[in-house]
Amino acid sequence: MTLNLKVWRQAGAEAPGRLVDYVARGIHPDMSFVEMLDVVNEDLIRQGQDPIAFDSDCREGICGSCGCVINGIPHGPDAGATTCQLHMRRFRDGDTIVIEPFRARAFPIVKDLVVDRSALDRIIAAGGYVSVNAGSAPEANVVPVPRAEAESAMDAAQCIQCGACVAACKNAAAHLFTAAKIAHLGRLPQGQPERYVRVVRMVEQMDEEGFGTCSNEGECEAVCPKSISIANIARMHRDYLKAALLAK
Amino acid sequence: MGYNRSIRMPSRLLQALSTSVGTKFLIAFTGLCLFLFLVAHLAGNVLFIAGPGPFNDYAHGLVSNPLIYLAEAGLLAVFLVHAARAVMNWLTNQAARPDRYHVRRWARTKNPVSRKSLASTTMIVTGTLILLFVVTHLATFKFGTYYETPDGIRDLYRLQLEIFSQPAYVAYYLVSMGLVFAHLWHGLSSAAQSFGVDHPQWTPRILTLGRVLTVIIAGGFLVLPVYTFFLSRPA
Amino acid sequence: MALDSKIPGGPIAEKWDRRKFENKLVNPANRRKFEVIVVGTGLAGASAAASLGELGYNVKAFFIHDSPRRAHSIAAQGGINAAKNYRNDGDSVYRLFYDTVKGGDYRAREANVFRLAQLSVNIIDQCVAQGVPFAREYGGLLDNRSFGGAQVSRTFYARGQTGQQLLLGAFQSLMRQVDAGTVTLFPRREMLDLVVAGGQARGIVARNLVNGELERHHGHAVLLCTGGYGTVFYLSTNAVNSNVTAAWRAHKRGAFFANPCFTQIHPTCIPVSGDHQSKLTLMSESLRNDGRVWVPKTPGDRRRPAEIPEADRDYYLERRYPSFGNLVPRDVASRAAKAVCDEGRGVGETGLSVYLDFADAIRRLGADTIRDRYGNLFDMYKRITDEDPYQVPMRIYPAVHYTMGGLWVDYNLMSTVPGLFVLGEANFSDHGANRLGASALMQGLADGYFIAPYTVANYLGGTTLPAVATTDDAFADAADAAQARITRVLQVNGRRTIRDFHRAIGAICWDYVGMARTRDGLQTAIARIRQLRDEFWQDVSVPGTPDNLNPALDYAGRVADYMEFAELLALDALRREESCGGHFREEYQTPDGEALRRDDEFSYVAAWEFQGVGRDPVLHAEPLVFEEVHPTQRSYK
Ligand SMILES: Cc1cc2nc3c(=O)[nH]c(=O)nc-3n(C[C@H](O)[C@H](O)[C@H](O)COP(=O)(O)OP(=O)(O)OC[C@H]3O[C@@H](n4cnc5c(N)ncnc54)[C@H](O)[C@@H]3O)c2cc1C
Ligand code: HEM
Ligand code: HEM
Ligand code: SF4
Ligand code: F3S
Ligand code: FES
Repeated sequence: MTLNLKVWRQAGAEAPGRLVDYVARGIHPDMSFVEMLDVVNEDLIRQGQDPIAFDSDCREGICGSCGCVINGIPHGPDAGATTCQLHMRRFRDGDTIVIEPFRARAFPIVKDLVVDRSALDRIIAAGGYVSVNAGSAPEANVVPVPRAEAESAMDAAQCIQCGACVAACKNAAAHLFTAAKIAHLGRLPQGQPERYVRVVRMVEQMDEEGFGTCSNEGECEAVCPKSISIANIARMHRDYLKAALLAK
Repeated sequence: MGYNRSIRMPSRLLQALSTSVGTKFLIAFTGLCLFLFLVAHLAGNVLFIAGPGPFNDYAHGLVSNPLIYLAEAGLLAVFLVHAARAVMNWLTNQAARPDRYHVRRWARTKNPVSRKSLASTTMIVTGTLILLFVVTHLATFKFGTYYETPDGIRDLYRLQLEIFSQPAYVAYYLVSMGLVFAHLWHGLSSAAQSFGVDHPQWTPRILTLGRVLTVIIAGGFLVLPVYTFFLSRPA
Repeated sequence: MALDSKIPGGPIAEKWDRRKFENKLVNPANRRKFEVIVVGTGLAGASAAASLGELGYNVKAFFIHDSPRRAHSIAAQGGINAAKNYRNDGDSVYRLFYDTVKGGDYRAREANVFRLAQLSVNIIDQCVAQGVPFAREYGGLLDNRSFGGAQVSRTFYARGQTGQQLLLGAFQSLMRQVDAGTVTLFPRREMLDLVVAGGQARGIVARNLVNGELERHHGHAVLLCTGGYGTVFYLSTNAVNSNVTAAWRAHKRGAFFANPCFTQIHPTCIPVSGDHQSKLTLMSESLRNDGRVWVPKTPGDRRRPAEIPEADRDYYLERRYPSFGNLVPRDVASRAAKAVCDEGRGVGETGLSVYLDFADAIRRLGADTIRDRYGNLFDMYKRITDEDPYQVPMRIYPAVHYTMGGLWVDYNLMSTVPGLFVLGEANFSDHGANRLGASALMQGLADGYFIAPYTVANYLGGTTLPAVATTDDAFADAADAAQARITRVLQVNGRRTIRDFHRAIGAICWDYVGMARTRDGLQTAIARIRQLRDEFWQDVSVPGTPDNLNPALDYAGRVADYMEFAELLALDALRREESCGGHFREEYQTPDGEALRRDDEFSYVAAWEFQGVGRDPVLHAEPLVFEEVHPTQRSYK
């Protein structure tokens, strides 16, 4: 296949950026989207040009490194898939594909399609954990966890911290990401002692990072490669309001 | 160790209401109050159909109750809080994405399909226009021409009949009610989410319920001007 | 230099307790004064950094990703072993120990493995307390499954994302320490050299991948937790940025490299579909529980699978191994697949795959049961290949998956450079010549949560550590060396891309140092690697500049290290004149084609000492003594 690409090129955080046209030749339908970018980059290197910078690592949809906005949709058109899991057979010969980075104030562009998502790490640092030191844990089966609760905790825990939810949200809100972690820990007995402190601290950190607020549009859920439900956002709201009422 | 350094539980409710989650709670709460006002307002206005007597009596009953000032003040406050918070919130959200996408599509190919709609994307527009509408609406009715009935109370029936005999007014109201429709279409179910309602069975039902209520309320308001218009022209 | 494994005395079950008691401690008030560098934040690194932070050390964590949680541990699917015996099916610490030593084909240290089995139970406790959502039974207690042919059910799992959930547990603990101020994160940093001062590891030189700056970081101890070197084969199930760079540069500074030829090839991966492929995807081994492996009987049979009648099919695993059938261990299944493809009986466009057929199982159990068991794997297969495994047989082929070899460490996980500790897949320690399924996660976490905190303390508490400044010569040397290498690779200005070279080195390794190795083949490999290395330094083309984000430059550095490392890999395989575990030398097989171990000559750990690029390294053998488990020949007939 031959494809016409319009790729966002930006030399650095402060540099101006623009969409640049490239032609991707010799694209095989079985290639993944990032492999297609590899091919384009090989060509650019041969022509002595600067290759397109993009993040990727596991290339199987689990590490959360990859991610760009493909024809206006984060991670592209496929449901439940990351950019590295999108295959070129989804496109047709001669298609034009616009590729942009995830955009948000809290995700400054590092270069081209690479953005700095460390704000999400800082949200976790604010409370996305259970405080337990190595060695201090009780025997694992002392606390039974109802299977359904364990399963729904797992549903939320699948988040790969890719940031597509932020990219898709018209407000660049990190609610789905934050809510997923709060729900993961909040559903388990192990997460109860810190449940309310956690939600308050994480929400405050989220605001501090410059993410927007949630208008309940659910674009995040639709693009989330792990199909994490916005029901988790409602849950976060509830926990937060309870925390506010409980505060002395 | 983490928390020992700084336990930052919000000490006052007010503080809690200023975060992104608190803000949305406020918007949703005031939005729902406004919605309840609309329900009551519509219920009262429906008396128009019953004729001048019941309608004017009802309106008089309202204004002659001393509690009305309290209620009006409350309503004003709710309006202001809703609008002010909504606008501030919108500004925050704009700032959260300073650089726009060159191409942006709704995630329609995805599953689940999002709740994004024309209504959800234009909340700030419909909201602001509603605000302007209310100002003109008050000028037209509340501070409009003072007719008196033979019983010495205000003849709002006549005023409404007069106003809606003019096609321009009817059209203006129809458009405005469209705005209310759009605002509530997304707003009602959204408020449930902001309050933290989530339930595998109830969440989808709430989504539907919100839309049904929207149709009823906005529909009711749509019908009134049209009904009055035809009433005002002798057959 | 004689290798001292520092195994404590006494009965095997008491060795670790004894070591913990002998260990020096560090006064809590003094811990803050010790800077500990942790390179890598996979299971091993994140757990070590978090635990050391909890103890109060001043920890600095470095990693090449933008977030610590992206380390490749995140991709592990199957599960983690622990000798909890929750199933009441006869498991015990001793049995897990025994299975691991045997599974490793008697090339691991008994004492280390025993400790690993002991600690396995604490790992599960720790992870559950952190909120790892392991699969549960209806009663709310933890579920287990049997994995990788084990006869007991001791594998804990979180759907098909066990590695992800375990890493998140460790990552969250790490972020808690970041919040507490005990750990500082250094994201997008690549360790380019180890700083050895006064014979001790005292810091690293790391490149800031965003602005290209070479940074000097001081530490009183350095922990390498940088994962395996599977990507030397270019195609593997490892993440594409996995590398040997940190370990290799430490090796060049004096850390011995042990058993590099012990590499594991996983039999059930999605086959290569073309040159464009950048990595291979693993599919859970559990598929072999219900799928039947076959190829056509006659070479070159190009009919579609449905058109090939039973009589023309060869269910070669069932034929050759009647009692284990499709469930033979990874190495056996992988070699058998290669053998039939070498005979020209492979299927698919490339002829490099075999069928894994579920038709019988679907007929027997119904499509719904199969969907319940393997639905997400089938979906994943379909997503990648565009073929529906409910309709046509899956195609699979072996792929490089794990590397048992790594930097040599003693019982305390310290390398031959004092103060340099190596944890996780980066060390060579516990899996011998072959790793059992679900044991790598266990090892990484044992190393990080429960071993390093004691042994690092012992080192810091019992060693004189003179003051060293980052302006000292040792730092300047290391920084200059790193700078020189970057300048050199940028100056070549040749015509071939880095990926080209990576593919080439990978092809040599796969063809000659892959599933079946021969003396001639290995000699050829070494000659070709040397030649390719020369070509690399004459003809590689690295675009861009060193002063900003330049993934191509990072990649070039990693491939350059593979150009050197691959030679050691081949050399180790050449010198080990036996077949064991993942290392199969065609010269050494039983009459019916099974691996022939030669315990009398090769029951040792091969630890290599660097002598210079292109110069033969010196072999130091650490003899392996088996007091508990007596080596026998494996048989799966
Ligand atoms: C697809 C797949 C499935 C697997 N499934 C299982 C399973 O089911 N059960 C099981 O037990 N094992 C499994 N394994 C094996 C297991 O996942 C790994 O062996 C283990 O996770 C390795 O952990 P680690 O901490 O040693 O290294 P990694 O997780 O690989 O981490 C390496 C770290 O080092 C950093 N790093 C690397 N180089 C540098 C450098 N030069 N400078 C700075 N930082 C650097 C990286 O950023 C990263 O943080 C699987 C492996 C794969 C590939
Ligand atoms: C009768 C009048 C009004 C009613 C019944 C009403 C109702 C609502 C409701 C129920 C919501 C949903 C809250 C949520 O998402 O949690 C909402 C949101 C909103 N309202 Fe109103 N509203 C009214 C007037 C206004 C006015 C005057 C403005 C002025 C600017 C406004 C602006 C907004 C905005 C911007 C939102 C979206 C907030 C967000 O999701 O980020 N509304 N409204
Ligand atoms: C067809 C639609 C409507 C009709 C016929 C109508 C009619 C009236 C009338 C007759 C009054 C005067 C009551 C009085 O002064 O005692 C009034 C007041 C008012 N209306 Fe409406 N209205 C309509 C829609 C709306 C809508 C959609 C809103 C809000 C968004 C609204 C908000 C108000 C407010 C705030 C007052 C003043 C109440 C008070 O101060 O007591 N109206 N309306
Ligand atoms: S919630 Fe979904 S979209 Fe958002 S970071 Fe997590 S996985 Fe990505
Ligand atoms: S798209 Fe944005 S508005 Fe809320 S529901 Fe998702 S965060
Ligand atoms: S590269 Fe890991 S999720 Fe895409």
